Amino acid sequence: MIVLRDVVQQFGGRIVLEIPELQFVPGKRYGLIGENGSGKTTLIRMLAGTSKPTSGRIEGLEGKKVGYLPQSPYAFSFSVLQNVALALNGHGDAKEIAQKALVAVGMESLMDARGDRLSGGEAQRMALARVLVRAYDVLLLDEPTSSTDVRSMDLIETTLKEYVQKTQCTLIFSTHSPAQALRLADEVLYLEKGRVVEQGLAETLFHSPQDERTKAFLRHWSLNS
Amino acid sequence: MFGADPELRQIIGVTLRMSVLSTLISALIGIPWGVAMGANQFKGKAILSRITNTLMGLPPVVAGLIVFLILSRSGPLGKLSLLYSVPAMVIAQVVLISPIIAGMTSNIVSLRAPSINETCAGIGISGWKRLWLTIKECRIPFVTAVLAGFGRSIAEVGAVQMVGGNIQFKTRVMTTAIMMQTNMGRFELAVALGVVLLIISFVINSLVHRVQEQTQRDRTA
Amino acid sequence: MKRFALLLVCVGLLFSAAACIMEPENKVIQMSTTTSVNDSGLMAYLQPVFEKDSGYSLEITSAGTGAAIEKGRTGDADILLVHSKSQEEAFIGEGFEETRIPFMYNFFVIVGPADDPAGVAGKATAADAFQAIVDSGSPFISRGDESGTNTKEKAIWTSINVDPTGQAWYESTGSGMGATLTVANEKQAYTISDKATFLAHENTLSLLLEETDDMKNTYSVIAISTKRFADTNVEGAQAFIDWLKTDTARKMIAEFGVAEYGEPLFFNMD
Repeated sequence: MIVLRDVVQQFGGRIVLEIPELQFVPGKRYGLIGENGSGKTTLIRMLAGTSKPTSGRIEGLEGKKVGYLPQSPYAFSFSVLQNVALALNGHGDAKEIAQKALVAVGMESLMDARGDRLSGGEAQRMALARVLVRAYDVLLLDEPTSSTDVRSMDLIETTLKEYVQKTQCTLIFSTHSPAQALRLADEVLYLEKGRVVEQGLAETLFHSPQDERTKAFLRHWSLNS
Repeated sequence: MFGADPELRQIIGVTLRMSVLSTLISALIGIPWGVAMGANQFKGKAILSRITNTLMGLPPVVAGLIVFLILSRSGPLGKLSLLYSVPAMVIAQVVLISPIIAGMTSNIVSLRAPSINETCAGIGISGWKRLWLTIKECRIPFVTAVLAGFGRSIAEVGAVQMVGGNIQFKTRVMTTAIMMQTNMGRFELAVALGVVLLIISFVINSLVHRVQEQTQRDRTA
Repeated sequence: MKRFALLLVCVGLLFSAAACIMEPENKVIQMSTTTSVNDSGLMAYLQPVFEKDSGYSLEITSAGTGAAIEKGRTGDADILLVHSKSQEEAFIGEGFEETRIPFMYNFFVIVGPADDPAGVAGKATAADAFQAIVDSGSPFISRGDESGTNTKEKAIWTSINVDPTGQAWYESTGSGMGATLTVANEKQAYTISDKATFLAHENTLSLLLEETDDMKNTYSVIAISTKRFADTNVEGAQAFIDWLKTDTARKMIAEFGVAEYGEPLFFNMD
């Protein structure tokens, strides 16, 4: 169990995240939704350890293998295959594993292309493959499909589901698309202005939100889709 | 017009020897210094970067004065008898150029480091391997920083006059020779040397431009 | 159109009237001199008195001897004050000058390390002293900048048939007297200097030889003629030359430096 207690994150005196208490149950899939600047990325970065909270504690991550895909992952200037193999760090079958992972995200035709010459969507899929080549206890994905085109979306989501099934990891991901949260998550958290406004089972939260702010956000979404 | 005059060739030779040597040493100092500043967040980073920026703007004659006082007979390193030699000029140049290379390197690295650091943290790469990857990703723009250092060192006059002494056949370089010839009213030689300097400057700028274009293409393609 | 033409005529008249009022004789004399003369402070000492006596104003620029004489060729000077016989003679051969008057002299000095390893002190001539330096292989720093001092130094080398260029013990700085003395001091080497600059320069070198006949240093003024550049101020230059011959000027020159160094730095020509 991952537990956050009295976690506050400030940047330049401004509070960007404030969570009195929050728990993530092992093996469950969590989707974070909310507008830009609501604190999704900050929460994920704190769980990944790349941003230290100003105050408070995060427990339950000691000794856990944590995989993390940042919002704008870096594409190195060598081949796509080498980019993915990088995460395997000299593993004997690195090449075959990387190839398989790339096929799973629909990148089989681009394995020899240079990483830094990919389009935004291609680079994001490559980076996802790079994270998925290894088995983690906790997988953190910050908007993993924000640049992915619609044609690849099904493939990516299927690959993600299979990964979670196989590894039984805890998945915490953020998304701009409530529909994707509904498809991938067991539980959904709605964040606004650095606070978790509402948390619940995906179906329940979407069909009968309790908080006015959640209602307003979801109404906006249904109008748009 | 130049090949015939052995003294002119000798002056160009000393100039290139001094510039290449000081650029190499400055790169060896400035690149690690800049990488350390650009790749990580650490305590005292703000003050280090302010010091670097100040040193980047260090007036050459001040650098010359400091090196002069250190190497002078009555200075702490006077025993080495380095004043008025090529090594003395190289030392002054390194004082001037390594902060410039460090500053440029730091800027180059800090453009990519946050993204590389996040990405590496996500797939369990840390420490030296992450640093090595960062340096590898920045290698092409590093060339720009080093060439800028070279351009600066070949054009330097105040500091090298002070610690080199413009001694014929020994420490006379193109810039100090131009100054001297102009003072003597011999404008033909001064202009000839000026043309050589301009050509070298043009070649360096063309190289920098090509490197930058190359990087641009890699990033946007 | 007519009105415009009228306006033009009026403006034209106005300008010519102004030109008539401002025209009288040229009150500005451009003097080009060498850095060593300027550094000695002699001109700053003479200038206000001359300007008061004559009504002219002097604009003094200083550069190395080569560049100082070059200004006579390019029309940037009315009068030169220099001290390099061979270069002055070359210049005169080109026909730029109106008159050349040698008006004062002093002596170069040979300075070097206090322990004087070559034994320069007590030599009868500068030539003997230079020979002693060659024989002992002691380091010698040359200005190498074609200045009056450098010209004199080269004349002495020629007189003993030595070509020092490229010798291990000989270094040429291509710089002014002050910078060259700094180098000589750092290297504890010999050099030849004008006395005024040496006395004013802070160093540990010793004055080893002075006032030999072959170190006499003659200063001349050269008035530039109007042949090349018609607006050259020949009258002004002549006024300065005439003033140098007055008792006031001669007395001032003879007294210059006495208060500070206990001896004169310049001597009037007879």
